[in-house]
Amino acid sequence: MTEEKELIDRLSKGDMPAFRELVEAYKKKMYYFALDMVGDPADAEDISQEVFLKVFRGFKTFKRDAKLSSWLYRIAYNASIDHLRRKSLAPEAVEDETLDVASAGFSEPPASTDPARTAESRLLGARVEKALQKVSERERTVFVLRHYNDLMLNEIAETMQISMGSVKSYLFRCLWKLKKELTVPEAPGPMEVSDEGL
Amino acid sequence: MKGCKKCRGLLVGALYGELDPQQKVFFENHSGACPSCAAEFKALAETLKTMDERIRPEPGPEFWDGYWSRLSRRMGEEDAVEEAPRSWAKTLGRAWNLAPRWAFQAAAAVALVAIGVFVGRSLFSPRPAPLDISRQAVQAPDAQPAQSDARQRAKNYVDRSKLVLLALVNYDSKSEDPYGLDLPFQKQVSQELVSQAGEIKADLKDPSQRRLRELVSDLETILLQIANLESENDLEAVEFVKQGVENRGIFLKINLSEMGGDLSRGGPGGVPEKPLNQKTKV
Repeated sequence: MTEEKELIDRLSKGDMPAFRELVEAYKKKMYYFALDMVGDPADAEDISQEVFLKVFRGFKTFKRDAKLSSWLYRIAYNASIDHLRRKSLAPEAVEDETLDVASAGFSEPPASTDPARTAESRLLGARVEKALQKVSERERTVFVLRHYNDLMLNEIAETMQISMGSVKSYLFRCLWKLKKELTVPEAPGPMEVSDEGL
Repeated sequence: MKGCKKCRGLLVGALYGELDPQQKVFFENHSGACPSCAAEFKALAETLKTMDERIRPEPGPEFWDGYWSRLSRRMGEEDAVEEAPRSWAKTLGRAWNLAPRWAFQAAAAVALVAIGVFVGRSLFSPRPAPLDISRQAVQAPDAQPAQSDARQRAKNYVDRSKLVLLALVNYDSKSEDPYGLDLPFQKQVSQELVSQAGEIKADLKDPSQRRLRELVSDLETILLQIANLESENDLEAVEFVKQGVENRGIFLKINLSEMGGDLSRGGPGGVPEKPLNQKTKV
């Protein structure tokens, strides 16, 4: 905490090495959070850089009583939402693309010597990713912040500027939806019927 | 069963270990006695376990190693784009359309005097300091007495910056040895200067110092690019920085500041006060 305070002091003086320290400390967190939000690695890098640019140019707007990480996540959250909205206004068929991109964002599990296990793991990963796409934007954000970024519930409330009650409620709803998605067996593909059988 | 509603309200906290001791006792007692709540907790815990199976793509060490370099390049580029509409040519163009005739005559007179001063100082002032002296000036800011005056500090800053920029601008990558540039040294000085820029800009509060503040800001951007050059032989990046210096008209701005009085009052002893000539060798 003292280290963070010192860093904040240096950042408020426009200290460039302090800015670099901040970037090094948070680049992975910002990148992965943006990736969770938008699904595309290139867009995630773009958003994470945007976060740091905003911090560099607008550090004066940072309130000293807030937590630095919550502020960074808040900027990343807003940038991701803006990005998703801009994208949804774009003429392409966004839904399909989002799903495809989300699958692309899901990396292959570490190569296993057992091909059956690799296939199973890949399948499970795809289901998890698909389930995450089924929940609302806010539910997904709360879940991603808690589960994959280890933010406490009160930090999520600060980041998203909502009440603790709302955070719990979004998280609870999200968990239920995920459970539902993951317990329902995958629907089989359309059956092929040969003309001869008719 | 009594208490199920309260127990459900605590489920999220229980799953993530965020219950206070009192809530924890209640939750454990209730779920121990209520099979329905216990089953719900177990099912959600299983779901979370499944969600852990998700693996995010790791972009690799090269991606992370180059992250800062790409970020600082983007910062430089965006600053250049922001600066573009405020270029000298455009400002003059707007003034041309708006100003009355007498203003042109007055401006022409001022320009003539300025050119006279410029030519006079170029011809009659001492030759630029040789390499070792210039380097001493860049390297030893602490040797100079601490300047309390913001203008004086800005002047020192500009003097040191211009020596770094001259070394870079005068460096010809095609004909000279890359080590002749001494990039690590230039990077070190740039880093030091960048870290001072914020404080210097903050001290230049007076409206009459606006132009000087902008100059320091411009220099900061260019120096940041130099400070972040990746390797000693990244000549492509050096060319990029040189282009930035040219596009921003940095030397013109320094000359104008020196001639126009922003920097001319109360010069320190370290570096000779003469308008810059890019051919000046350091």
